[in-house]
Amino acid sequence: MFLTELFRTAAFRITLMALAAMAGVMVMQFGLVYAQMEAVESRRSTELLEGEAELLAQMSPEHLEYVIRRRATGDLRLIINSAGLFDAGHALIAGDLHSWPHGLKADGKPHNIEIYPEEGAPYPLRLLAVSLPNGTILVLGRSFHLLAEQKLMLRHAMLVAAVPTFLFALFLGIVLSHRALSRVKEMHEAIDRIMAGDIHERLPAARERDDLERLAGSVNRMLDRLERLMDGMREVGNDIAHDLRTPLSRVRARLERALSAGLGPVELEAAMGRAVDDLDQCLGIITALLRIAELENSRRKAGFGQVALRDLVADVSDLYEPIAEMENKRLLVFKPLPPVQVFGDRHLLIELLANLVDNGIKFTPEGGSIMLGVAEQGGRAELSVTDTGAGIAPEERQAVLSRFYRSDKSRHVPGSGLGLSLVCAIAHLHEAEVHVESGPDGRGTCFRICFPLMRERPEGVAP
Amino acid sequence: MDMTKEDAAFLPHEDDVRDEGLPDNGISAESPHEDRMVLLVEDDTTIAEEITAELRVRGFRVRCEATGDAGLEAALLGEADVMVVDRLLPGTDGLSVIETMRQQGVRTPVLVLSALSAVDDRVSGLKAGGDDYLTKPFAMEELVARLEALLRRPDDVRATRLRTGPLEMDLIERRVWRDGREIELLPREFRLLEYLMRRPGQVLTRSMLLEDVWQYRFIPRTNLVDVHIGKLRRKIDAPGEEPLIQSIRGTGFQLRVPD
Repeated sequence: MFLTELFRTAAFRITLMALAAMAGVMVMQFGLVYAQMEAVESRRSTELLEGEAELLAQMSPEHLEYVIRRRATGDLRLIINSAGLFDAGHALIAGDLHSWPHGLKADGKPHNIEIYPEEGAPYPLRLLAVSLPNGTILVLGRSFHLLAEQKLMLRHAMLVAAVPTFLFALFLGIVLSHRALSRVKEMHEAIDRIMAGDIHERLPAARERDDLERLAGSVNRMLDRLERLMDGMREVGNDIAHDLRTPLSRVRARLERALSAGLGPVELEAAMGRAVDDLDQCLGIITALLRIAELENSRRKAGFGQVALRDLVADVSDLYEPIAEMENKRLLVFKPLPPVQVFGDRHLLIELLANLVDNGIKFTPEGGSIMLGVAEQGGRAELSVTDTGAGIAPEERQAVLSRFYRSDKSRHVPGSGLGLSLVCAIAHLHEAEVHVESGPDGRGTCFRICFPLMRERPEGVAP
Repeated sequence: MDMTKEDAAFLPHEDDVRDEGLPDNGISAESPHEDRMVLLVEDDTTIAEEITAELRVRGFRVRCEATGDAGLEAALLGEADVMVVDRLLPGTDGLSVIETMRQQGVRTPVLVLSALSAVDDRVSGLKAGGDDYLTKPFAMEELVARLEALLRRPDDVRATRLRTGPLEMDLIERRVWRDGREIELLPREFRLLEYLMRRPGQVLTRSMLLEDVWQYRFIPRTNLVDVHIGKLRRKIDAPGEEPLIQSIRGTGFQLRVPD
């Protein structure tokens, strides 16, 4: 169980691969040393045989025969393992080679030839035959046992070195991957706890010194973000529930009273009418929420085209002017409006502006004014709605853009509390930024929608 | 609206199911639809029953089908004067029903019902051959007003002078008179009055006005239209004169037609 798990860790697999590579390198190295050694020994024995043959050939025939028979020189005893003096018919005159080696030519060059002694196993010899001036042939031989001994030594050395090296590397690999495994196991356990519902749990990332910890750090940051989003969603969920419960409980109370009070048809009708109005308010909240969700999920820009901001402002002020007038407020347009175009969906931008104007009218006291403006700054189109209302405290400015947020000051004003979220969603779809500031002289509120830079103004569409 | 099982029961081709307990809101009396037949294709039985009952109260004959295939079959008979088709239906969906019947040459006006409010959905609904689009949930009055609008159109759209009772409108010179007295209107007021004068006696809901006069949807305040109508009223009705634009409670407005 442990072994299969061990084998599945990346560290252990890397260890095994490294081990295989190490073994390959060692075998190659050994092979090279082996070949080199063989070449050196071969050259050395050739030199020795040739040098000795030259030396012996200079002796008188009688002396040579004596030397061979008795192995009288040190060289003949130590360096040359076999020697023989043959006549022209390959018959032995003197020496310890009993017969002419099969296939040997008297050409003064070394030949590796198998020797079959009268008793015992055959063995290879490096032989050299030289014809002497008196017609006899001198044969000198050198055995390979030195080379064989060196090879054996090398093989031993190799085994003695390789086995502990491999074992040590394997041990190291197991230890390292076991460590990695235990860290991964810790992470798995942390993830299991998160999946079980403990969303505050985090993976062990320490100071992010290696890949694994950096990965864990990234996962932790992702979890932080998700947790914030979940908190936000939970808050929104609570807000939705709260905002729906208020009108719904009104409907319930109203209907219950209508049922029990024994009302006449007229009162009953009135009670039902009000109940329907309250239900419409609930449905309005749901519609707005669905619409925001739809806009936030939308990646499509099918309805996009060139939209002149001043036409937008003219349309919306045309629609809202009578409302403002009726409520004793003034809806003003900063003129002249520059002919700025943006790339967007006209209907959505109308909705955005209408929501801002609606909002402005709602929060401006009687006698106040709401101003609409269009500006162009550094190629960026900008739409602004400024009111002379109570204004929004700097610390609340970001919050008003989130769903259902209502400052305590505006609790009494009816509305879904979703208008500005809708504005944000539409602005986001247009890659525009929403800025909330105080009005020009520090009073009131100014909403600015800054559209992205227009790369090029299409010709023929401009003013 | 407490409806008994008997009232709500679905009975095709039966036009005399009337709910006496329903308050008369002024529409049914002025809208004789004795021979008008509505083909309703809707798979949600509760909604289908509600719509059927409401339409019968208002004097329509109603045939109801619950699947796209049955709806298409009924549509191809050509008996219906107007159709209400839900977008999402089991089997053949609402849009393919409309597309197929249009290909077969059936010109019956269609109101598309949908739970989807996305602009794209609306556009695709109208592209498939629908004539109007209504998002669920909706008020029954809204549905009825839109059906009536579909049944009544089109008047002569090429007319350059419109006359309704004491009102007269010159579309080329952009001038309006009431009993010969000229009325000064802002362009937006002129547009609104023109829309009303092209549909005299017809109940027009707030959202119909917003959509058709201003081409707006999803406007945060519904009383916007009331304010515009109010301003228009003050201009066309001089003190002591009979008010010409009537409010229909809970529904919308209507330009009165003289008897």
